[in-house]
Amino acid sequence: MSLQFINAEKRVNDTVVFPSFNLNVDTGKVIALYSSVNVREQLINLLLEKTRLSNGQILFSNTPEEIGFLFLDSGLYERLTVKETIQFSKRLYGTTIPVGETLRKIQLDSKQNVKINRLSHSEKKRVQLACLLIHNPFIYILEEPDQNLDLETKRIFISVLNELKIQKKSILILTGNLESAITSSDEVYRLDENGLHNVQIQEKTDGNEEQLEKNNELEEQATAVVQPVRFEKIPTKVNEKIVLFDPIEIDYIESNEGQSFLHIKGESFPSVFTLNDLEQRLLPFGFFRCHRSYIVNLQRVREVITWTRNSYSLVLEDAKKSTIPLSKTKMAELKEMLGL
Amino acid sequence: MTFSWRRMTAILFKDYKDFSRNMAVSVVIFMPPILAALYGRMGVDSLDAYYMVFNMTFAMVGAFVQSCLIAEEKEKNTLRGLMLSPANTAEILSGKSLLSFILTMVVIVVCAFLFDYYPQNVFITLIALTTSALFYIVLGTLVGLFAKSVMEASVYVLPVIGIFTFGSSITAFADKYPLLKVANYMPNAQLIEIATAVETGAGFGDILSNLSIILAWLVVFAVLTIAIYRKRMVD
Repeated sequence: MSLQFINAEKRVNDTVVFPSFNLNVDTGKVIALYSSVNVREQLINLLLEKTRLSNGQILFSNTPEEIGFLFLDSGLYERLTVKETIQFSKRLYGTTIPVGETLRKIQLDSKQNVKINRLSHSEKKRVQLACLLIHNPFIYILEEPDQNLDLETKRIFISVLNELKIQKKSILILTGNLESAITSSDEVYRLDENGLHNVQIQEKTDGNEEQLEKNNELEEQATAVVQPVRFEKIPTKVNEKIVLFDPIEIDYIESNEGQSFLHIKGESFPSVFTLNDLEQRLLPFGFFRCHRSYIVNLQRVREVITWTRNSYSLVLEDAKKSTIPLSKTKMAELKEMLGL
Repeated sequence: MTFSWRRMTAILFKDYKDFSRNMAVSVVIFMPPILAALYGRMGVDSLDAYYMVFNMTFAMVGAFVQSCLIAEEKEKNTLRGLMLSPANTAEILSGKSLLSFILTMVVIVVCAFLFDYYPQNVFITLIALTTSALFYIVLGTLVGLFAKSVMEASVYVLPVIGIFTFGSSITAFADKYPLLKVANYMPNAQLIEIATAVETGAGFGDILSNLSIILAWLVVFAVLTIAIYRKRMVD
């Protein structure tokens, strides 16, 4: 009862939405697909069998018993109470899951006789989640599950996910928010027009911290002595996890109040290193300290704008066309590097 | 997929609860009884007056409520969830139609009671009323398919109320404009003819032609509704 993408490829007219990829959403696993809205919508339409793949296939059976969706914009019957809504789902799907237990899981048992239109947005999402739990399919497709949710609801959502994992369900999260993808899943993949890429996560648990430090020391010793293959990835922190990025993925790095932030595809991630450390690490990858508080990936620079005789900016070729400052002294250095 | 009684009643009860708390729509079920009570106390006791109120009930309760039930599912974005559930279209529509049908018949009976109207042949009258009610519910479903929101549904249903409540009275001008004789074949006009025939002691055989005209309206609109439903669902 798993969801399998086999050589799945989608093109719309002449543009590639996503090239051929393989992905297996196993039972007992939470997999997050981090993608743009276009890719997400295409995937949902494919799973609803509204559109077809250009190539390859998706292995699953599209029956209500098999697959369940948590849509971003699905509505609820506003005039029914919480309990009536869940009871209606239960009668519709004909399952045997007790209503009271589900109400406790989403922690709305104290509000079970409140009408839906008197609930907050987060509480409505919880009711929607409860309907899906009552439905009890094998495969869960969650579209932007924790967008605009309060902390309590996010906590409930993650505990529900853990419970579903124990029940051996296959869960696929479709989201455009990397932080949400990382916090709620076991494996994160990025899917875009360049294909499917694994976003590596290192789980950091409290007990391991000392060991990590030890490892770091060992690593430092090792680098000092024999200079083995250098570890190239740049770690960033997202909540309790450490995410590793390929240097070439980074557009630029910005330092703000003593904290450095990596900017990757329009999102920023705090880094544990200082700008000076990063400069040293990244110099071999074509990075350039263009300003006291900026490091830029030279491969991404599209334009050098001269505002006045001694004020310059770099324009990057990322989606936002970000401009970053270039200081006067560094301009000479850059010219030298470019061979001008 | 097989037709499930459980799912249909689930939808029926859900819609009943939702409807009973939606005063903007449910208020229409009080209009015909109020009118009937007024006419009854004023001493109006012509069949034309009775059936004008009955036809109004059909249009306002049967067609309007049905179209609102369907349009609201679209407006509130709940239809997608319902379509993805094990419930199929037949179950969804019959759950809703059953609610509109029960409401219509209850209102008709209350109105008849307030008018002190007791037909000579209850059985034939009931068959004629039931067939008419079904026709108006199909009409309401059709309006519901076009309307994207409850507001749109309540606008689209206005011509329906106008034509099918008062439409039969334009036959009064039929002498001057022969073309208006067509109005005699409207389902509401046919229903009045059946009622008149029943009062003169007519049997089932005498009203068969009138009944089959109403039935023809029902079939034509049912086919039209199914065709439009198929076309709209493909998009």
